[in-house]
Amino acid sequence: MSEAIRLEGVSKQLGGRKVLKGVSFAVKQGDIFGYLGPNGAGKTTTIRILLGLLKPTSGKATILGEDVSKDEARRKVGFVLESDGLYDNKTAEENLGYYARIYGVTEPAGRIDRILDLVGLEDRAKDKIGTYSKGMRQRLALARAMVHDPELLILDDPSAGVDPSGQIEVRQVILNMAHKEEKTIFLSSHNLDEVQRICNRIALIDRGEIKLYGELEQLRRERSINEVEIETTEAIAEPLFTELKSLSHLGLRERKDKSLTFVLQEGTRVPDIVSLLVRRGVEIEGVSRKEASLEEVYAAMLKEAEPL
Amino acid sequence: MKGMPIVLQSDVGDIVRSKGFLIIVIIIGVLIIGAAVGITIALNRWLAPGLAWEDAKPMLELFMGLTANYMPLIVLFTYMATWATDPIAKEKAKGPIESLLATPLTAKAVWIGKSLAIFLPAYIMGLIATVIVVLVMNFASILPATGHFVFPLPEALTSFLLLPVLMFALISLGVLFSLITNPVIGQTIVIFIGVILLQVIGQFGGRITWLLASWDYALYILAGAALLGIIAFYLSRSLSKERIILSSLGWWVSLRCTHPTIFGSALDIPATTYDCSKNCRSKWNYRRNIHLSILVPPIHSERIR
Repeated sequence: MSEAIRLEGVSKQLGGRKVLKGVSFAVKQGDIFGYLGPNGAGKTTTIRILLGLLKPTSGKATILGEDVSKDEARRKVGFVLESDGLYDNKTAEENLGYYARIYGVTEPAGRIDRILDLVGLEDRAKDKIGTYSKGMRQRLALARAMVHDPELLILDDPSAGVDPSGQIEVRQVILNMAHKEEKTIFLSSHNLDEVQRICNRIALIDRGEIKLYGELEQLRRERSINEVEIETTEAIAEPLFTELKSLSHLGLRERKDKSLTFVLQEGTRVPDIVSLLVRRGVEIEGVSRKEASLEEVYAAMLKEAEPL
Repeated sequence: MKGMPIVLQSDVGDIVRSKGFLIIVIIIGVLIIGAAVGITIALNRWLAPGLAWEDAKPMLELFMGLTANYMPLIVLFTYMATWATDPIAKEKAKGPIESLLATPLTAKAVWIGKSLAIFLPAYIMGLIATVIVVLVMNFASILPATGHFVFPLPEALTSFLLLPVLMFALISLGVLFSLITNPVIGQTIVIFIGVILLQVIGQFGGRITWLLASWDYALYILAGAALLGIIAFYLSRSLSKERIILSSLGWWVSLRCTHPTIFGSALDIPATTYDCSKNCRSKWNYRRNIHLSILVPPIHSERIR
């Protein structure tokens, strides 16, 4: 699968401060890529470089094979920036029409109707943006990003400042774009829950450096705390619990009403624990492995990155 | 410049539909009515019955010259002094400028498109105001008294073509500064240069009596427009998307020379880079750097914390 975005050693210095320090990652076509990091980490600077708004001090950035400084690269990209960039005194149709003309969209009227329908704003098409709620504005900004049918969407925290129901709407629009419209999505966000729900790959940036990068599920597995919970049909008797506790290689951590929690030790496999319990006459209801949430991965990474 | 007409069309629509524009139209409307009535009364008193055309012609041409030159100038200046960089300031503050620059539009297309969008409504208002006042003067006073229509060709050219070119050059300079620095600086430049222009033209009108209806005056205006245009064109070399973005974020702007230029040579500025990234304030005070800030493109902006 070819790459939608590639950054190779991109650095950006502003004043005396290095905002980006040799950032490298790639986004494959078809990805919903989450770009995470705390405030001031360099997320927006990366996006500005990708959109040709800032020039990298060093390194190379390409979008769909084109250097980001070329107009051709920007024709293939739709975007939502931190500020929605909509004109309050224009209607939704006028806002989209303006960008459709800039991108040279043929048959703009039909395209605008279709996109407004996709984001659920077809009934507010002729209303001025000044009357829109924050969630509606963000959905319209997403529509504007789609108006020229780009291959790649770069979204800078599109659900920021939106209420929970608005966030769900925005998330649904993004998923529609990814799945129905088959777009590659580069999503910068503070909303870890949102990223965890919709992204398949992520990069985590902190202080201008990429700290974590890869498949989200794999990263969660790698960073999981290796906890296994085994549910039983009956409560575990005290003698058996004491015996299991004495076997330190099992890593038994706690007993609840009808469950045991093990922290897997090196060399211990889940089937070994299960077969041991079965041999002791325990009936097993279920086995579940606890994976680290993105929030835990994120917090752990930031803690590791803290200066001593 | 591809895409410039799209920016122009959109921005003209926004400006014309705004409340601020309506207020300016009302002010200028009052100005036109006042000028037309006042001048007509003055002419009717001066144009005594039986006054020979040969005797009246030089004074009427001067009068017409003053009116035809001041009307568009006052209209354009009133508009510019209140409005010239307001749309840029709003777009920078609210964010549309960043979205616009993230499209395939070039920074120059945005600059020229926005300059024309600010200029054209003012030009049309100035044109209408001048035509109305000239027609009222002629049909209400001059034509009945002398049987002649007074509006010589140099005045027509100056009022309808050259003065607007001069004003467009000024607006484009103001918009350029608004884009790459702070809109307040752009507005200040427009007002400052505009006041100087009014003063200079006022001096011409008062001291060189017949100049206003001459080709010489038209050429002076053209020379002024060319000078401002050259300055704007020269400084536009420092226009870049990065510079607009950084200035719209309210970043401190330092400027540095990245290669020698004719100004650099003239000022004996070394070809080496002045890097303001460290200890910028002290470097800012460095005499040559202050010259560099205005004169030497390409310049590079950076945020200094």
